[in-house]
Amino acid sequence: MTDQAIQPRVAIAGVSLRALLMPFPIACFTGALLTDITYAQTAVIQWANFSAWLLAFGMLTGGIAFLLGLIDLFLADRYARTAFVWAQLGVSVGVLAVALVNNFVHARDGWTSVVPTGLTLSVVTVLLMILSGVLGQIAVRRAEGGRS
Amino acid sequence: MIRVSTLTALGVVLALGACSKPAFPPEQQQGANPQLPAAQQFLFPPMNITTPVGWKDGEAPTVPAGFTITALGTDMKGPRNVVALANGDVLAVEGGGPGGEPVTRPKDLIYGIVKGRAHSPVKAGNRVVLLRDANGDGRAEQQIVLIDNLHSPFGIVQVGDALYVAETDRIMRYAFTPGQTRLTGPGTVLTDLPAGEINHHWTKSLTASPDGTKLYVGIGSNSNIVERGIIAEQDRARIWEVDVATGATRPYATGLRNPNGLTFEPVSGKLWAVINERDELGNNLVPDYMTSVQDGAFYGWPWSYYGDHVDVRVAPRRPDMVAKAIAPDYSLGSHVAPLGLAFNTGASFPARYAGGAFIGEHGSWDRTVPSGYQVAFVPFASGRPAGKVETFVGGFLDADNHTRGRPVGVAFDRTGALLIADDVGNAVWRVSARAAPAAVATPPATTAAQR
Repeated sequence: MTDQAIQPRVAIAGVSLRALLMPFPIACFTGALLTDITYAQTAVIQWANFSAWLLAFGMLTGGIAFLLGLIDLFLADRYARTAFVWAQLGVSVGVLAVALVNNFVHARDGWTSVVPTGLTLSVVTVLLMILSGVLGQIAVRRAEGGRS
Repeated sequence: MIRVSTLTALGVVLALGACSKPAFPPEQQQGANPQLPAAQQFLFPPMNITTPVGWKDGEAPTVPAGFTITALGTDMKGPRNVVALANGDVLAVEGGGPGGEPVTRPKDLIYGIVKGRAHSPVKAGNRVVLLRDANGDGRAEQQIVLIDNLHSPFGIVQVGDALYVAETDRIMRYAFTPGQTRLTGPGTVLTDLPAGEINHHWTKSLTASPDGTKLYVGIGSNSNIVERGIIAEQDRARIWEVDVATGATRPYATGLRNPNGLTFEPVSGKLWAVINERDELGNNLVPDYMTSVQDGAFYGWPWSYYGDHVDVRVAPRRPDMVAKAIAPDYSLGSHVAPLGLAFNTGASFPARYAGGAFIGEHGSWDRTVPSGYQVAFVPFASGRPAGKVETFVGGFLDADNHTRGRPVGVAFDRTGALLIADDVGNAVWRVSARAAPAAVATPPATTAAQR
């Protein structure tokens, strides 16, 4: 995760704050998908409660990580801002937008806080995160290729 | 992926739906056969939180021509219920929610703050106050604390030499005869009531059967629509019958989300109640109602409303329960929040009000355009509703959606005047059918001469 296409500027002892934060939204949004699936299968409300907290915490940490990434991006050398970097940025916006809507869907009461819209949005969020990760990896390789 | 994008688009459309105005006038949702639109699901439910400003000096609720309103009790601490005694004294119950409802979702935190803005800044007294108006001018000269340190009291009924007070977790019995201004003993527990840690709808409305051998107590649900889980609804959303002699209880009617205003209709001899129905299905769902309460009947909550209208938010589905659900008698309108009900058994009001129902409507939050915030009147004939809902007492909400007051419990006193507990205005109002007290004091001959 510390292999970044963009040199981190917001960092502690050279370690990117964004990279430190990124596991949280990844784990939270993926966890919310799992608890959504469990609620859809059991109708035990506590699983929907877990989803709501995971989505809220994922939104908070993901939002901060995104802002830190934006700062790094603006401070970066403009040659470092490749098409893949912009694509990853766009997909990240998509992840957060879908997750935001999903937070509100999960604020409904009972079954329709998850089934079908909440669960669907959780799936979309995880798929977009995977896409974002792939784009990020490609961007890193391109950047390393450029530096070597 | 087509299905996914369709559902996402649906979510956006539903979100926009939150901005829509109420689709049709409230009259179409009042009476025996209310129109029920399709249920909606929201990202932001319709909401209009009214904030309290209280009554300024000289302000009072509005009453129809020919009626007078006075503040029987003022500077009170959250009066929510009233009962009139045979000697003319009035008992007012000052009660507030027990608080401490657990936060299980981020939504609970936010709703706690947002909805809390609608409450009076005055902390509820959690006590019973005796109001004595010895000179009959409609203003009590004495306000005496009769019972103090109660646990979120609401229901109150006096039977013979006993006064029953429903705290949120038990019914207390006190030896009491009208005329007393002090209790002679600490009281005894008649029976415990379902309360517990969540205790979402905490008001326990109370009435007695005409022969005084049974009490009936309303026990509201622990959630809007089982978002606390179905186990939390054990013994909730129902009316209990309590045997006065033994304290034994049995479910009298179930599936009533939040029943209040329990009272016996004098012509039919049937138990009636007003019920707060579920929220967050739209501006015009689900209408709150009043109904005669049938022994052993099931009224739908949580699985359905108005008979077989299934609530999709409840899983697993229970078609067997939906099949058992009966529809209530009379819709009052969506989100009006009825909390008090009294039948006019007095003779002082004009004939068209005789026997009719007076309903304290606390007012809406889950609606773009506020509804309720009034004491409504529904005419009755032969013990059944026989007309449309009218505003009887209004003026609780000002033009800027600030609340001067909010009506809760209602009752008739021995003179046939209507009493209203106002938990935001912190007053007990008295509506009498006569000219202003000054005019009454004037001899008729002089009045004629002045004309």
